[in-house]
Amino acid sequence: MSELYRARNLVQVYGAVTALSLASFAVNRGEVVALTGPNGSGKSTLLRLLAFLEKPHAGELIFHGNGGDPRREVTLLLQEPYLLKENVFRNVTLGLVLRGKTKGLSSAFEAAMHAVGFEDVETMSRRSFHALSGGEKQRVALASRLIIHPTVLLLDEPTSSVDARSARAIESAVRGCISCGTTVIYATHDMALLKALGGREQRLGEVSA
Amino acid sequence: MEYFSQGFAKAWALLWCMDSATISAVKVTLSSTFISLCIALLLGLPLGFLLGYCHFPGRRFLRLISDTLLAFPTVLIGLIVYAFITRRGPLGEFGLLFTVPGMVIGQAMLALPIITSWVAQSVENLDKRCRETLLTLGATNGQLVLMTIRELRYDVAMVCVTAFGRVVTEVGIATMLGGNIRYATRTMTTAIALETSQGEFGQGIALGFILLLIAFFINILLVGIRRRGRV
Repeated sequence: MSELYRARNLVQVYGAVTALSLASFAVNRGEVVALTGPNGSGKSTLLRLLAFLEKPHAGELIFHGNGGDPRREVTLLLQEPYLLKENVFRNVTLGLVLRGKTKGLSSAFEAAMHAVGFEDVETMSRRSFHALSGGEKQRVALASRLIIHPTVLLLDEPTSSVDARSARAIESAVRGCISCGTTVIYATHDMALLKALGGREQRLGEVSA
Repeated sequence: MEYFSQGFAKAWALLWCMDSATISAVKVTLSSTFISLCIALLLGLPLGFLLGYCHFPGRRFLRLISDTLLAFPTVLIGLIVYAFITRRGPLGEFGLLFTVPGMVIGQAMLALPIITSWVAQSVENLDKRCRETLLTLGATNGQLVLMTIRELRYDVAMVCVTAFGRVVTEVGIATMLGGNIRYATRTMTTAIALETSQGEFGQGIALGFILLLIAFFINILLVGIRRRGRV
């Protein structure tokens, strides 16, 4: 397996607080990595760095992608996802629209929604973002990531604030993604998710301020 | 109290027979307000986005100026624009004084800080996860700006309606820069002021009634936008 990410002496600082200090970290293409550790150990910070949302304060992070814009190969599902003030269809297909795709949106939408466990896709497509429950929002947000077929799927505690049914649907969708060869890196405290998704466990220690 | 009832009766008569002076004042008011709002929106939207979204030296100072201009007295705006467009002023050669375009300049100056400050505030208040979500879905920098503006569309609509309400009811700028010329630059507010001062309550009430109707529709629009924004 070829190397996808390599990080050395990665440090991230917010003001006077050191949020992450990681000597070395590497992920291979198609690998599944579970980031574990206590609150404040830098799991979310590491995911944000891997998603190129932030630049590290110190150290280096190398991404060996497919040669295009790395931001279009990597996607991150936030712990509390944000949905745009649109209906479910527009939210889920947004990634494709941003890539200039206008054809086949309906079939891609249907496939992504089925993957996250929605059955009545037609009704769901018209629903407004505000009418969704927490679990539905998380699944819709995951569908919006799955539809773009990312090289890397980053998940920040995807089941921490959803009911058991939604958690199982999310697990199943991510397992499907893993079986397709997508690199998945997820942060979690949920032992059930760890058991369901498996992968190499990377434990992050507490970071001193 | 008789003049009240007489005023109302005359107001109805004027509205019923579509009095040309009344209709002209309504037309001038609405057209100058609409054009000035378009100009202010064209300048204020990118400016507000820049002030709310980008971090650069002097941003806070510019925000402070923009916020201060919200309380700018309309007569002072009228005075400044007057100084520029009067025959002896730097823009005097264009003959803008006592014309609708001259009024439009002043009204646009009135609406500009309202739009700039409110858009900047809306951008600042926008959930930071919106930007992160767009980035993680692969938005380019240009798409990020466009999608953020789209996400703020209800806020922008609210700002427009508020600015419209402020400009349409304004009297100082319209008087100083328009000159209150009948069938040319007379607006509803300047007409009300003039007719009332001349004891012509009928036309004043008729125009006041239309102004009230406009305010009513603006409020209905605001309620609708607020409701949609929550959806």
